[in-house]
Amino acid sequence: MRIAVVLSLALILCGRAPAADKPSFTVGWSIYVGWNPYHYMDKSGILKKWAEKYGVTIKVQRFDYAPSLEAFVAKSIDACTMTNMEALDMPAAAGVDTTAVILGDYSNGNDAVLVRNGLTFDKLAGKKVMLVQKTVSEYLFERGMTMNGAKDQIKRVRLVNTSDSDIAPAFLNNPDEEAVVTWKPLVSQIRKGKGITTIFSSAQIPGEILDLLVIRTDVLHRPGGQNFAKAVTGAWYEVMSQLSGTGPAKDKALRGTAEASEDTPDSIKEQLTTTHLFYTPQSSMQFLTSAELKQKMDLVRQFCFTHGLLGEGTSGADEVAVLYPDGAVQGKKDRVRLRFDTSYTQLAQEGKL
Amino acid sequence: MSVWKINTAPGRNMTWFLSWFLFASGITLYVYTAHKRHVENPDDKVVPTLRQLTGGFYNAAFKPEADDEAGAGLWQRVRGSMLWHDTMASGRRFLISFALLFPAAVLGLHIGVFPYVGAFFMRFILFFDKIIALSVLPILFIAFGIDELSKIMLIVIGVTPTIILDACNLSKGVPKEQIVKGFTLGAGNFDIAYLVMLKQIFPRILNSIRINLKSVALFLFAGEMIASDDGLAYRIALLRRHMGMDTIIPYVLWVALLLFLVDLTMRFLNRRLHPWFREI
Repeated sequence: MRIAVVLSLALILCGRAPAADKPSFTVGWSIYVGWNPYHYMDKSGILKKWAEKYGVTIKVQRFDYAPSLEAFVAKSIDACTMTNMEALDMPAAAGVDTTAVILGDYSNGNDAVLVRNGLTFDKLAGKKVMLVQKTVSEYLFERGMTMNGAKDQIKRVRLVNTSDSDIAPAFLNNPDEEAVVTWKPLVSQIRKGKGITTIFSSAQIPGEILDLLVIRTDVLHRPGGQNFAKAVTGAWYEVMSQLSGTGPAKDKALRGTAEASEDTPDSIKEQLTTTHLFYTPQSSMQFLTSAELKQKMDLVRQFCFTHGLLGEGTSGADEVAVLYPDGAVQGKKDRVRLRFDTSYTQLAQEGKL
Repeated sequence: MSVWKINTAPGRNMTWFLSWFLFASGITLYVYTAHKRHVENPDDKVVPTLRQLTGGFYNAAFKPEADDEAGAGLWQRVRGSMLWHDTMASGRRFLISFALLFPAAVLGLHIGVFPYVGAFFMRFILFFDKIIALSVLPILFIAFGIDELSKIMLIVIGVTPTIILDACNLSKGVPKEQIVKGFTLGAGNFDIAYLVMLKQIFPRILNSIRINLKSVALFLFAGEMIASDDGLAYRIALLRRHMGMDTIIPYVLWVALLLFLVDLTMRFLNRRLHPWFREI
């Protein structure tokens, strides 16, 4: 008996000892075509290879979208996939200093406004629209109304907050419901319904809905934090080169990406046509250092502020400031909460990872 | 120590102290955590301070949603507020579903009393009771739309089978001798069902409904979180989207208070209506 205890203790100690000096980090992701590669990255061993190179341990965990954000804000995970809008109104607005390390893609048609009976934006006043409120769906909807000259009617549309898990059957099976805003793959599913047309999509506002990997800034300053960011970035661009390449490597990457959401490779291919992936560090760098990024982010932060997403007592969008790669700050200099950091992407571009 | 003595009760002061102890320690722990987190991060939204909580409650309960009513009196401000609006919307759904539980109890009585009715319904309801209402939501949406009706049906499907089965069991528990005696005294079948059986089990039925209030609230919240444009759970779902804990926590406490009050009222009514009933 005593021997057994000693043996098992010894086993536990031996098993733990090598891992103990390696700092460990957790990445949370949720199902979306631009984030599914994190699942493949983990399962294929690509991430492990990079993590070993940089002497860190990286765990990857799938969440539903909203809980992943909550886990990130509560600091139970170190890195998380989210859009630029949620990065601003969840962690950044809650005072959790956040750094965007990887710019993965922007939605180029993945999010869409769909209607029945050939409805148009100017006829939506007084009608019901189903969507997940206070998310990019509402942002997209208001951009659509604004760009179609119906901005003053936004307040007269009745928004019905509908959970994304039920929005497709709820819209398809109720002919009385006339408009819905959601994202792929739900959009593809809804579009198959009879008499349903797309009147607006994120392809008309390219670069406004960005899909990022963010890391808490204090994690980057922890021992091994920099190495963690380097390892993830390296693994990400390796997956990207597979996805943009040809041959069996591409097929394998597509299959792995599809498996993440129990989807088919064909469906993933279809979704990728409306996703502007930044396949190379160069393309990502180009967008991150452009003046365009600041303009788009300004639209997003003003939306967040006018919808009370930055918090009740916030006096203006400047209270949650954004730092850009060129050192420019959007908002109050002493209240920087969201940082776009290109240093890791740049290392990838220079082949120094 | 008299802690482990069955026959020793604590004195008045001790009872007071013991019964509030967990509340006090809970609040203290909360205030401490909130303070600690705000020292680390002044913008923390996960655990708001007491001042933020009262601020959140004030904004929800006394600030009109539409700006043009800002200068109105207190009562008008309350009537125009978010909390009032949401409470009315959820309260209406709650009361309709609550009212529907009574016919369910009567059905249960019939199943228990009349063998033919029992043969017709019993097996089906036993089966129906085991269906997890939340898992058939898409079917509910197809059948009842996404408006009020589907929310009320979700509650009905979720809670009524329990009530029906419970009422049925209760009516079966009435001693057979009473039925025989009723017949020999010249009562008809319906006299026995309503005047002998329903009358005795009614306080227990009320009790059973009272205990199931929480299930009603649970299904109501699930329905509102899935699709709606007003209601208490709708607001909580929206506020979650940007960590509005300073309003969510007062909302949760408000719902707890409302449920407590409904429960208390039912207990009071039950005691008033059935002074002979002593099982509560």
